[in-house]
Amino acid sequence: MFKPREMKRALIVGSKHDLERTIELLHSMGVAHIIDYHPETQDDQLTLGSPMEHASLVSQQLLRLRSNAQLLGISFENSPASTVMAESHITKDLELKIHDLELSVLSVIEDKTRIEDHLKKIDGRIAQLQPFVDIDIPLELYTGYEHLTVFTGSVRDMKTFTERLPGITSEYDLFVAPGAEQVLALFVSKTYTEDAGSLLAECGYTELKLPEGKGLPKQFIEKWTQQKQELTEKLQQTNNQLLDYRKRYAEFILASEEYLSIKVQKTEAPVRFATTAHSFIIDCWIPAESLLSTKERLETETNGSLYLEEFPVGHEEEPPTLLENPKPVRRFEFLLELYSIPNYRDVDPSVILSLIFPLFFGLMIGDVGFGILLILVGYIFMTKLKNSEGFSNIGWYIIIAGIFALLFGLFVFGDMFGMTFQTVAGETNAHSWSELLKVTIPIPSLIHKMEALGLTELLVLSILAGFLHLGLGLILGFISERKHSWKHAITKLGLLCVLVGITVLIFVMADWTWGQWLKPLKTTAVAPFLWGTVIPMLKTGMFLGELLIPYVTIVLAILGVLIILVTTGGFGLIEVLEVTSHLISYTRLAAICVAKGAMAFAFNVIGLGMILSGNIIIGVVGVVLLILMQLIVFALGSLSSGIQALRLHYVEFFMKFYKGAGVKFTPFKFHRKYTVKE
Amino acid sequence: MAADAGIIALGAGLAIGAAAIATAWAQKTIGAAAVGATAENDKMFGRGLIYMVLPETIVLFGLVIAFLLIQKM
Repeated sequence: MFKPREMKRALIVGSKHDLERTIELLHSMGVAHIIDYHPETQDDQLTLGSPMEHASLVSQQLLRLRSNAQLLGISFENSPASTVMAESHITKDLELKIHDLELSVLSVIEDKTRIEDHLKKIDGRIAQLQPFVDIDIPLELYTGYEHLTVFTGSVRDMKTFTERLPGITSEYDLFVAPGAEQVLALFVSKTYTEDAGSLLAECGYTELKLPEGKGLPKQFIEKWTQQKQELTEKLQQTNNQLLDYRKRYAEFILASEEYLSIKVQKTEAPVRFATTAHSFIIDCWIPAESLLSTKERLETETNGSLYLEEFPVGHEEEPPTLLENPKPVRRFEFLLELYSIPNYRDVDPSVILSLIFPLFFGLMIGDVGFGILLILVGYIFMTKLKNSEGFSNIGWYIIIAGIFALLFGLFVFGDMFGMTFQTVAGETNAHSWSELLKVTIPIPSLIHKMEALGLTELLVLSILAGFLHLGLGLILGFISERKHSWKHAITKLGLLCVLVGITVLIFVMADWTWGQWLKPLKTTAVAPFLWGTVIPMLKTGMFLGELLIPYVTIVLAILGVLIILVTTGGFGLIEVLEVTSHLISYTRLAAICVAKGAMAFAFNVIGLGMILSGNIIIGVVGVVLLILMQLIVFALGSLSSGIQALRLHYVEFFMKFYKGAGVKFTPFKFHRKYTVKE
Repeated sequence: MAADAGIIALGAGLAIGAAAIATAWAQKTIGAAAVGATAENDKMFGRGLIYMVLPETIVLFGLVIAFLLIQKM
């Protein structure tokens, strides 16, 4: 649970005769993470393997299938698996079926493109002729003159043109479309063609070519519109046909795509192996606990003609990482991978992440109402977006965080939607649920976010959380460094000394806060020890101005710094500063908790003021406004709480022990969704 | 005493305000670069997020100082 699974490196050697059988076996066992062979780094006598004979045929089939799937709009990622097909059913006449699919899809697609082209052309023609409908001259009258030139087109500056045209000649006939005032048809005597042309050019003339034919433009447009309608109907028919094909072939395409992908994976696998003229070598990582069974199975199934040798993990080697966690925790591995895939030698912090990330998230929200909303939103994410791994995981985090927020809201802060259940003594403008609903709700607020005392308590609580979190990180750092370098491991202990020292100092500064939390212990057996020995010892020290610096802090800080100086030298001192700033960094828990609470509080004062004003209209506006404002607080609060809780892990916590940059264990197998092997 | 309180409040405001401006200034540059890196390579998201929120500690230092000051009022 706290370590990635142990790996063993294995070399599988056999005769080329057995290659296909071996690949088949390895694929079905799905335990080997194959290491690709790179010829330049090894012996020259070995060469890269070549794909199996039928590899290119299979790849081609796959390519054809995928292109047809794309034409039909079938996506492989998000299609649910409604039925699972047997491989024998797929292989039967596969080539014929793909051919059949290609033929039918291709002919429909061709029809579709032809119709679409035609439609586009007609649209163009209609757009061209439309302006001339209003001029209402039969098309045949625009052409065929000996002494006349005809200009048809649009003019930007029609006014200047109509004013200046009579200055050139009076032998013309000008038609301007009444609807579109920039379109004209000009009939002018050939003698003045040039003059009229240059005037037109000055006025921004663009020629519009008219189609040839006989009849009024209106009749043409009517004819084309009818054609267009017919074509649209046809297009609809082909689209329906495509949908029909899509329905008919979807199952076949999904299943055979999967089958062929598996086939390609297998037939091209030899490219990753080293080969000689007659033998092959597969270099791979296998989880240690599956090694023996793998070896036995390979040997029995090939009658002992395969040879498998195992090697221990060398210091230089970087085995792939296979994490092993219970299912609810496994979802948090996604957050880990988002940061960096853990190194084989790293401690696996998934379990810690799965508890503390939602705890921090929930603490920052700390509100019954928002907690319930979070659980709802998380549930929606998990059910509606379950096809996306990322979103369904995020939904899971939100649900757990929501539960923590609910618990903190009930037992610590005693508030819902930024309003406490019980009225705070001395607060006059703050509302409470008890006051609003006129019943006494027996949920007290142990910590009031909105008061100076509450903020102090929260800050101390944050520092305490930071101390525990960072301390845990340093201990994990010590554990994982211990195996490589004692020097680095001891540095972590030095840092731990500094961390304890600083925390003691901060706690002595705020002694009255935790003093009151310790009060319940006064009647227990530890009281004499606590108040007789521990607390007086922590509180003796030297004064720096008004500030009491406990001797414990001084001793621990000096000890820690000395350890770091000895193990890592002067540069290590930067880490001392880092630990200090990281500890203070945890005050963001308090800061966001209070900031979010204050926003909700302020909006409540505004909204409830309007609702309780007595005016119905203002009251209704108040209700709408209040809901909107609460949603804004919820959205902003959850976003920042989530990111900050994550950051406390990524930056403060992980830096103490986590190296990352690992390689994910990807076994040689295929995750089947639509097919099943007999 | 009232004058002192005023000066303390101003100091607290300056502490958190200036720290917030500094954080924003740092985040502006980092944010732009992080988004660019993520656009090129999705795997940079995690690291980009970390770089992005790193300067937020600065504003927390401001908050702590402001809080210690306010307590002296």
